[in-house]
Amino acid sequence: MSVADAEGARFARQRLVPALGPEGQQLFRDARIHVVGAGAVAGPALLHLAQAGVGTIFVDDGADVDGAVDGDAGSWLYSPDQVGQPRLLAAIAALRAASAFVRVRACATDAEPTATLVCAQREPVARLAAERARLAGLPHVVALGDGDGGAVVTIPSGAPCLRCALQPGARVTPRPGASAAIGTLAAVELLLVVARLLPGDGAGRRIDLVEGWPRVRPTARTPGCDCRNVH
Amino acid sequence: MSELHRKTALVIGAGSLGGPAALALASAGDFRIVLVDAATVESADLAGQPIFVEADLGQPRGAAAARRLARLFPRLEVVASARGFDEGSAGELVHSADVVVDASSHFLTMFLANDAASAGGKALAHGGLLNLTVQLLTVVPGLTGCLRCLFEGPPPPGPDAGVLGPLAGLAGSLLGAEAVRLLEGRPGAYSGRLLVHEARSGRSRSVPVRRRPGCPACGAIPGGGVPPSGKGS
Repeated sequence: MSVADAEGARFARQRLVPALGPEGQQLFRDARIHVVGAGAVAGPALLHLAQAGVGTIFVDDGADVDGAVDGDAGSWLYSPDQVGQPRLLAAIAALRAASAFVRVRACATDAEPTATLVCAQREPVARLAAERARLAGLPHVVALGDGDGGAVVTIPSGAPCLRCALQPGARVTPRPGASAAIGTLAAVELLLVVARLLPGDGAGRRIDLVEGWPRVRPTARTPGCDCRNVH
Repeated sequence: MSELHRKTALVIGAGSLGGPAALALASAGDFRIVLVDAATVESADLAGQPIFVEADLGQPRGAAAARRLARLFPRLEVVASARGFDEGSAGELVHSADVVVDASSHFLTMFLANDAASAGGKALAHGGLLNLTVQLLTVVPGLTGCLRCLFEGPPPPGPDAGVLGPLAGLAGSLLGAEAVRLLEGRPGAYSGRLLVHEARSGRSRSVPVRRRPGCPACGAIPGGGVPPSGKGS
């Protein structure tokens, strides 16, 4: 079987999605996604992006695998014998094992991503990563877990920034099932951006997941925020 | 030993819904998961089933999923049932479980799971997916309506529908989190309310699912109903 045939068989069901089709699958293949974080929220997102046919993933994480009960067990990427190893290397190995159709690299200065997914565990890190993506003109999606749910903010190029969409606040570590749902929802949102399937012309939105129920709302620019001018 | 450790979740289907559901369940605590899936891992499965890796191709899905869970969560008790979920095995499998997770992609299996869970008095967390729309419902026998109250029976066979892998993963993760709520004795988020979430618009609807008099699956079960509350966006 040729590589093209193998790829066709792998993604046949996705290409049947009417709004997606072969064109959308090709957009996935052409995408180069910078993923910030490789913990409990990022892990399921990374796996889904890799298996959905994203062409290149740049993993960006500086922590080691955490063996705590509320640590990295929910990431779906690491086994207990990997505790203490760099998450970056362990995540790259796990993603390469999950799909033969994705290139996975550590994020370096010459990465040149086409979009960014921010799943950092610490909110200040997430905000910094989102701001960098905005200043680079990259569409980005930010996932922030919180207890039994969390929020996912989708920011196509030119949309209101993360600061406009979501005020800093006290958030608690997401429960394992909730962290997976938030990370996966963020991966879905990013793929909709990549495949140009989001409604509206460059409009941003925020989806709050509260006890299993997603609630969407459009984002709006905060008066005085400089994200209108600095882009 | 936690309370969860003594409880069992029966996960029907280890595919695009069941895999993430089992992973979410496994992440949440040390308890018993029984996986039922008689199919083998095919290439198309790896477009949206994070419980499998390339090396699993050609392997039985239930056994491959159980191996992965055991590697990631060594303290977990995972059983891959060698039997499929059919009329001959449904009653026994449901009897051994505290919560039934219906992650099947086959309509006949969905309704069989619904009927067996209703007959066995076990809560059922159901997930489904069509193209870019997700649906979730929790059936609590004697309290809420069931799948047959809502749809009466399986639809006629049709052409294969598309599946966006990560969207199935979202449904599976939500399904797993719901199963954890039920195992912990908390109210289910989808008890008596069908969540319908459409990915492109991002909008969700809540459809109340009330008991239907004369329902062949749950009509004979005594008990009142819970008034479903409206949610959605």
